[in-house]
Amino acid sequence: MIKLIDINKTYPGVVPLHVLKGINLHVEKGELVSIMGASGSGKSTLLNILGILDNYDTGDYYLDGLLIKNLSENKAAELRNKMIGFVFQSFNLINYKDALENVALPLFYQGISRRQRNKMAMEQLDRMGLADRAHHLPSELSGGQKQRVAIARALITNPSIILADEPTGALDSKTSHDVMNIFKDLNADTGKTIVIVTHDPGVGAQTNRIIRISDGIIEE
Amino acid sequence: MKTSIFDIDNWTEIGATLARNKTRTFLTAFGIFWGVAMLAMLWGGAIGLKDMLMRNFDGFATNTAVLFPGRTTMSYKGFNKGTQYDLVQADADGIRNTIPEVVAQTSVYNIGVTASYGKNSTSTTIMGVDADYPEIMLPVIYSGRFINASDSQQERKVCVIGKKVADEIFGYESPIGKYVKVSGIYFYVVGVAGQTSEVQISAKIDESILIPSTTMRRSFNLGDDIGGLMMKVKDGVSPTSLKPRIARILRRNHPIHPDDDNAIGFWDISQQFKMVDSLFLGIMVLALFVGVGSLLAGIIGIGNIMWVIVKERTQEIGIRRAIGAKPLDIITQILSEGVVLTFVAGIAGICFATIVLFIAQKLTTNEVSTPHFQLYFSQAVTIMVTFMILGTAAGLIPALKTMKIKPIEAMNDK
Repeated sequence: MIKLIDINKTYPGVVPLHVLKGINLHVEKGELVSIMGASGSGKSTLLNILGILDNYDTGDYYLDGLLIKNLSENKAAELRNKMIGFVFQSFNLINYKDALENVALPLFYQGISRRQRNKMAMEQLDRMGLADRAHHLPSELSGGQKQRVAIARALITNPSIILADEPTGALDSKTSHDVMNIFKDLNADTGKTIVIVTHDPGVGAQTNRIIRISDGIIEE
Repeated sequence: MKTSIFDIDNWTEIGATLARNKTRTFLTAFGIFWGVAMLAMLWGGAIGLKDMLMRNFDGFATNTAVLFPGRTTMSYKGFNKGTQYDLVQADADGIRNTIPEVVAQTSVYNIGVTASYGKNSTSTTIMGVDADYPEIMLPVIYSGRFINASDSQQERKVCVIGKKVADEIFGYESPIGKYVKVSGIYFYVVGVAGQTSEVQISAKIDESILIPSTTMRRSFNLGDDIGGLMMKVKDGVSPTSLKPRIARILRRNHPIHPDDDNAIGFWDISQQFKMVDSLFLGIMVLALFVGVGSLLAGIIGIGNIMWVIVKERTQEIGIRRAIGAKPLDIITQILSEGVVLTFVAGIAGICFATIVLFIAQKLTTNEVSTPHFQLYFSQAVTIMVTFMILGTAAGLIPALKTMKIKPIEAMNDK
């Protein structure tokens, strides 16, 4: 599903920062893996590259057999929309849109009719147990609810891979546990490939495989 | 995304964004509204103002000069300085015969009198004029006719009476064919007239009684005195340039020293009109200046607010891009918001200006004419199109700039 071959990434600057130093990684379809590492180890950069939110300097990245390299912004946007679902630490919901509209937004960019996408978004929210919160703004939701809305948004386009960046970072232990259960159920029930970046060993322990990254290199 | 103006979802998206940022939307809209309204009011107002100014001269030939009798300031031919002379028919004939540039002329002699019909009487001015008079001051004929050449030639005791005088002494009766008594002389009324302009030659037509100048001289024992002489000069010829030739004719008939310029009463009215013209040009330039200024202020306002909108929404734009919005989607969204806002606020501005102009026109309309405090449709369209194009361009710069930021950086922008 994900295949990284000798990925290098340097942030330019007065002192260029070599964050990823030849990453080789293989994630099979249906895996639930976590990427762990200290802050500054390059794990977030790696996730951004996986999510086509950032580019890399050298190496090859295959997503579902497709080489992701020097894509136009249009192509990248299309792939993000169709193949990848994002879950972020800070939720990244649009604050003036209610839960339903937030969940439906990726479908808007696919050109799906309003009626259809609201129906789909409602089903997704229902699955997350948030049907009664559909018309609440993010500011009216708790952290756990916000994260569940974000997960619903990530799932709405039925992507083959979910990328989560510290999904429990802003949540208490109880809700963290709930969110992790959602990911585990998703993986078990629908066989979605899920990659979670975290520095929390408790989260890492719940995944099938832990990839440790340190100083831009993967330790096996 | 299928970007189409026919897709209702695009409109709901735009509407929702605008409605959710009410203060910002209102302030931007007000800026555009005011810019458009100012420009429209200035443009429409300038036309109205010009009409109001020109109304004062309506029907009056502007390339005109007046010759009036004077007093010599140098002794000549045995006459002391200070000798007073009258203009005589020989002067008028001399000008008519030797200066072809004078295309129309009329002598004007007026006396304050009391006019009466039956029991009614009013004090008015009786004015002796020639048949060419309408060429210099176009009268409004309410009924009957004006004095003509044969009235003059045959010294008929006919008159044209001013509208106001007619109302005062005839009331609701038609004055045509009746006799009005002026200083014991009866004149046969052939017409009722008035004038549209505010220009006054001795007196306004509305407030006087006009008779042929020949009849005037005979009836009031004026001898050869023709009073003053008004001359309409051919277009493109300055009346002042004719003054030396006119002076030569006067000197032949009166004891005026060749160097005595002050003895000749000559007033070039066209000079006054040139002043009015340049005054109006000044107003137009000022209106243009203020108009362009308010246009620029409006455009800079749109650009500025667009910049703020884009800055403030960098994170949101990042999120949208992360979940699959293409660059064109984002630019279209930002620009559509600007275009919709400009369109709605602009139309409101045009409507407001139209109402203001309508009121201005109502207030300045009198019974003879209406100044056109109006905005032509083409002008309204020009203003709208200018605002739309410049406003869109002003929004395009920040929109393009955000697309340079990587989605992940945009998302982390706080």
